[in-house]
Amino acid sequence: MLPLSLLNAAQNKPMLVELKNGETCNGHLINCDNFMNITLRDVYQTNSDGDRFWKLKECYIRGSTIKYLRIPDILLDAVKEEQVRAREVGRNTRGAHAGGPGNRGGRGASTRGGRGRGGPMRGGRGRGRGVQ
Amino acid sequence: MDSLIPFTTSGSLVDCVDRKMLVILRDGRKLHGVLRSYDQFANLVLEDTVERIYHENLFAESWHGLFLIRGENVVLLGEIDLDREDDILLRQVEFHELEPFHKRAIELKKQNDDSKSQILYEQKGFCKEGGEGDGY
Repeated sequence: MLPLSLLNAAQNKPMLVELKNGETCNGHLINCDNFMNITLRDVYQTNSDGDRFWKLKECYIRGSTIKYLRIPDILLDAVKEEQVRAREVGRNTRGAHAGGPGNRGGRGASTRGGRGRGGPMRGGRGRGRGVQ
Repeated sequence: MDSLIPFTTSGSLVDCVDRKMLVILRDGRKLHGVLRSYDQFANLVLEDTVERIYHENLFAESWHGLFLIRGENVVLLGEIDLDREDDILLRQVEFHELEPFHKRAIELKKQNDDSKSQILYEQKGFCKEGGEGDGY
């Protein structure tokens, strides 16, 4: 899960954005792009000393001015679960295709062997890629 | 093994994923957290992040959670040795107790740097610096 994919997955979630000049913006993410440009809604902006506040209905932040973003902790788990689920679906559909020729080729050898060979190998690769 | 991986961001950071790391930002902040992901710009995802401040032989932590740091702002990323982490001879105190001292120290350093560069500018023919502090 690359940092920018995580940001993409954070759409409609609340977040705190600190800019390079120290100003912060609290709001819900509307949208973002691959430059890290973002739009937020219902924003509370504070100056760098944290003693002045502004409320903005919507704001656009150029990606290059961002220092960091703080996003909800549960998001990382949610994204991981989503990835696992997507992988399961992918494996099942691919598994069905792989099972066809295997059955035809070695009917006598047993279908269990064919699936066994295909299944774990594919699963192993999938998990390896998913680390990031 | 090492020689097979080219010296790129992705090559050097791949071993650091899921490890506890120290990140120092350009503004001087020190963050400790578990590195979960990164990309070619050194944008970082840190989980369970705490900010640490130090003053003399004291330190304090403030919990922040999940961070996505834009790579440009990173000065340093270092792995924390979990076996030796607790050997440091510093005492932990409450964040709100230490924060005023920390802020004061930053302010003093800034004043010091300002007056230094003022003297260099007026008397020694130096140019004005950009006011970037340590110049990261």
